[in-house]
Order: sequence, then C-alpha cells, then structure tokens
Amino acid sequence: MTNFLDICERAIQGPIMTEKDFDMKVFMPKLSELVRTYGIKYDKDNPVPCDDKAADVLFQAAVDFLVSVGIYCQDTNRVIRFTKEEILKGIAAAPGTCLFGEGKEARVFGMRRPDDKTVPWLHVGSGIVTTTEEMFTNKVEAYASIPEVQSISIPALDSIRGIPVAAGSPVELYAAIRGVKIGRDALIRAGRPGLPICNLVSTAASAVTTIAASAPQFGLRPTDGWLCGTVAENKLEYGTMNKIAYLLNWGGNVGAETAPILGGYCGGPAGTAIASTAYMMIGLLALKGSYQLHFPVHFKYGCSTTRDVLWVVSVSCQAASRNIPMPVIWLGYMAGGPNTKMYFYESAAWLLAATASGAPSVQTPHSAKAVKIDGFTPMECRFGVDMAKAAAKNDRGQANELVKKLLEKYESRIDKAPAGDRYQDCYNVTTGRPSEGYLRLVGEVKEELAGMGISLA
Amino acid sequence: MDKHRILERLTAVVIDGTEEEAKTLAQTAVAKGIDPLEAIEQGLSKGMTLIGSKFETGEAYLPELLMAAANFNAAVAVLKPVMDAQKKRMERLGKVLIGTVKGDVHSIGKDIVASVLDTSGFEVVDIGVDNPSLNIIEEAEKIQADVIALSSVMTTTMPAQREVIDTLKEMGLRQKYIVIIGGGPVNQEWADRIGADGYGKSAVDAVTIAKDLMARKK
Repeated sequence: MTNFLDICERAIQGPIMTEKDFDMKVFMPKLSELVRTYGIKYDKDNPVPCDDKAADVLFQAAVDFLVSVGIYCQDTNRVIRFTKEEILKGIAAAPGTCLFGEGKEARVFGMRRPDDKTVPWLHVGSGIVTTTEEMFTNKVEAYASIPEVQSISIPALDSIRGIPVAAGSPVELYAAIRGVKIGRDALIRAGRPGLPICNLVSTAASAVTTIAASAPQFGLRPTDGWLCGTVAENKLEYGTMNKIAYLLNWGGNVGAETAPILGGYCGGPAGTAIASTAYMMIGLLALKGSYQLHFPVHFKYGCSTTRDVLWVVSVSCQAASRNIPMPVIWLGYMAGGPNTKMYFYESAAWLLAATASGAPSVQTPHSAKAVKIDGFTPMECRFGVDMAKAAAKNDRGQANELVKKLLEKYESRIDKAPAGDRYQDCYNVTTGRPSEGYLRLVGEVKEELAGMGISLA
Repeated sequence: MDKHRILERLTAVVIDGTEEEAKTLAQTAVAKGIDPLEAIEQGLSKGMTLIGSKFETGEAYLPELLMAAANFNAAVAVLKPVMDAQKKRMERLGKVLIGTVKGDVHSIGKDIVASVLDTSGFEVVDIGVDNPSLNIIEEAEKIQADVIALSSVMTTTMPAQREVIDTLKEMGLRQKYIVIIGGGPVNQEWADRIGADGYGKSAVDAVTIAKDLMARKK
C-alpha cells in the first residue's frame, strides 16, 4: 500500500496540467462518460433505494473514475494518480476501524452495513462559530453530557479579546489554542475528559495554526481527530498535505474531510453519486485518513436535504459501506435553523437516509446550513442522538417511505427555509437550559414523528 | 444552409455542441457573409440565455454552463477578428474582477458566479482563490474593472472582504468600483456593515445585482 510520502512524490512527479484543464477536460467529461457507461440513474421517487447490486455497480464506477481522473494538486499543478490494482489492494488492506478517546472513553469506531440494526457511532456537535467563551463552554459541556455520545465536535471562536479572527493570522492562532483549551476544559466539567474531539482544529483555517494548536501541552492527544480536507472537486493543496504529514509523524487520527457538491463540477445526482463514493477511496488512499467526515451538499441550496442530495447520500453510503472499509462520519447540512420545525423534519429525513444506508456514524445534522453564527444548540444534538437510534430500527425500504413522508413536510419550503434562532435566543446563557418554547416545539415534532411510526425516547 | 438555419445552429451548438463544432459553424457564418454581431446576438447569445435559464431552474448544472461558455467563446474567437475589421464591438455589460479573498481556497461558488456573469454578458476576469487584498485592488486597477466581486466561504475569511473595502477607501479608490460580495456565511447584514454595494445570495442573484448596480453607475 502506498504511504503518504508516495503521495507527496506523485504530487511532484505526476502529469502536469492546468487546473482549468483538469476540471474541463478530465474531471467533468470523464464523470459524464462513466454515468452513461455504468448506467447510473437518479431515482427521484425513491430517495433511499434498496438495491445491493446497484450499490456495487456504483462502487465499480467510482473505482474507474478515480483511476481515470486522479487527484489534482493545486500547488504543483500535477495529478496524483492511482492504478486500479493499488486502489483494490488499499481497500483490501484497510482495517475499517479507528481508535478514538482515552481512558473509559476509549472506543473503536467501526463499520456498519445497509439495513444494519446496530446504532451508528454517535458523533455530536459542530464547528459552527460561537461568539463567546461562556457559550462555547456551555455548549460543549451539554454535548458531552448526553450519555450515548461517543465523540464530539467543538465550535470555532470568531474573536479573541474582541479582535476578529482572520484566517492565517496570529489572532487565529491565539483563538485556536484558546478554543482547544476551552473544549477540553468543558469535557472535564462534563466528567468526560477522555471523550475524543474529532473536528480539530475547529478555529484554524490554516495549516500552520492547526499544527501549532495541536501541540500536546494545549490538551490534544493522538486519539482525537483532525480534519484534513480536499478542495471540491478532487483537489488537494499543500496546506492539507502539511497537516497530514504532521499528524502521521505524530500518530494522530487524520479525518479525511470531503464534500461533493451536487450541481457543481459533479453535475447532477448520478455524477455526484460516483464522485461521492470515490471520495471514500481518496480519504483512504490519498489522505491516509483513519476516519472520514463526508457531507454532500447542494450547490444552490447549500444543504443536504433536497431530494436529489438525499438520494446521493443514500446510494453512495450504500456503495461505500458495502465495499470500502473506511469508518465515515456522515454529516448533513439542514436548511432550517434551531427552534424551527423545518430543521427537525429535515434532520429526521437525513438521519433515516444515512443510517438505513449503512452510515458507520452520523453527526448531529447542522442547522441553518452551518453558516449562522451561534446558530447551533445542544437541543439539535439531543434530537440527533434519539433520532439516529430510532432510525437504526428501519431497513432501507421502511426508511424510504418515511423519508418521502418527511419530504412532503419541508421540500417545497427549502428555498425559503427559516434560519431559526441563535443559542442565546432559545437558551438561558447562564444556566445552559433551553427555553420553554423550544422544548414545546420539539415535543410537538416528536408527537408528529410518533404519528408516522417513529418513536423517539 | 440559409442564414436563419445557421443562426439556429449557432444557438444549438452553444448548448450541446463542442468547441470544434462551434468554431466550424462560426467559420461557416463568416463564409456566408453573416454579420458577426448578428451571429452573436441572434445565435450564440440565445444559446447562452437558454442554458442560463436551465441552470436557474435546476435543469442544467455547472458542467453544462461551463461547456456552453467554452463553446460560446470558441465561436466568438472566430467572429471577433471580422468584427474588429468592421470596427464593430460586442456589447458587454461591464468588466468584473472576481476572486476569493485571502485565506479562502474554496473555488466552486466563485466559479459558478463567474460563469453565470460571463454567460449573462459581463466580461469576467477570474483571479482565482486566496487573494491578498492589495493584489485584488492592483488587478482591478490593471484591468480597469467596473465591479469587484469577492467570495468568502468561511466566517474566518469574511473579515478579508471588509479589508478590501477598507483598503479601497484608504487608497481613495472606493468610489471607482462597485463591490459585491457573496459566499455561504455572508448575508445582506454583513454587506451593509462593511459597506459593500451589494450581496448576492446566489449566482443568478449576483448577476441581477451587478446589472442593477451597473445601470445605476451609468
């Protein structure tokens, strides 16, 4: 199996081409060709299809795609290529597991299959920006206080001492280190200091900040997880590669972060499904991920809950879960925000689609497209955990019917989804408790879901 | 092939042809003595409008849009020397400099906006990703842009949008340019706060705003 130095070497020695040619002459036409060759077809009537053979064909198309297209290195203008044999050997050698956490929180994160009735690994929280350190602490403590939770994501700070955090600046470094310390302290306050933080370093956009804030004296451990992302589509830059090189030298968990965009270079749902599946192999082979964070989104709506993106999530999750031993945390972006019923309808639909399709892990679906500052609360985490457990009781056929019913509730409003409240609008900032109104709204949603046959705790 | 048929085919070749086919058809139009400006306006541009509408309604995606733009430009490259010889100019709505700000390497949103602006009649100069503020301004000066379009997909790179506007003010150049902003975490409130001229929620929105602001400027 190729190691990361081999990848670095290919980034220097691979075929040279302009980024525009990679997009226009390689990526897009090849994807379009493979959609036709393999007969990949979007089925709008069944957002959660149940077809193992089709899932395996999609996997074959994704292998073919990765062999033909490769990964573009933006810093060297060269293409990192893999042979089919290398890909298949890499898959065969992959453990399909990742060790997270310390002490009594130490656990092995592994695979699930489509229709698997085991509850997925429960990852909660988000890197959505939080404006104050007090809110940051309250939120992380609340995430970790959910007993079933196995790993968390911590927020990002938008300023420190009133100075706005700018990417790559020294202020970012101060804020990133502060964020890491607050996160770990909040876990201690929750009585779970060993719980792994898997979206490191949340406040760091630049590689230098990530690496600096990861020095062990600030509280991080190799059994946490660092997100090292590709650039859409199929592109890598040296910042990400530097982070990976550092983590592999230290033995830290690399989290391959990938997000195919439906409607972007991937084109429609069929092309996006191939690219989405191929990303699991990119995570495994090129990024050397010990786990992956994957979130297909729609280019126009910025969310993962349109009917076509749900289909992409489902089919690529099935293809990957059946064929690629990579423990993936699947993440969805909801159009609706906190304290809106829309958010919970979307969250339920997305969790059903991913869980029934074999997602090894599901993360708390992100509210308000993950762009609303302070727009994420522990309530969404609690609901996400309960909903994931409920979703695991359904096979793909059952999930498909439920998702269709949920789509009826929100699909027509996705373009004008309410962004909802900020944390401080629907929570008591001092006590960290939700408002009566928010509790009532969630209660009403749970009753509606119960009426559909989805029983939440 | 008569003139009407050639114009129809020019429209069609933009949507589902290749660059080579677009070039050949443009050469045919020139050989048949069709006014190159008419070939653009009554043929090629109609194709761009059609693909733009399909993009807006979700019937077409970025690949179709980019392929159409490439076909359009391939045909125009054949027609332009003839227009130049006839001292005719293709009407453009304005010149837009577009890029992501310092620290932001996310290109797709910016690419989509650039393509839609291009297909809507603007001359677009795309300076790519991760651009320091001063570079953006220098490039705008160099190409004599009308509009500076700044993309930021991360909350931590949004301050760089403000930095461009503040630097323009410091350099006494703010009034010279229309500055529009966009990106996932960006909204109208942020645009108002930093003194941007406009905010585009989507690519189509960005075109509408750019057209509106250009009309007011003129």
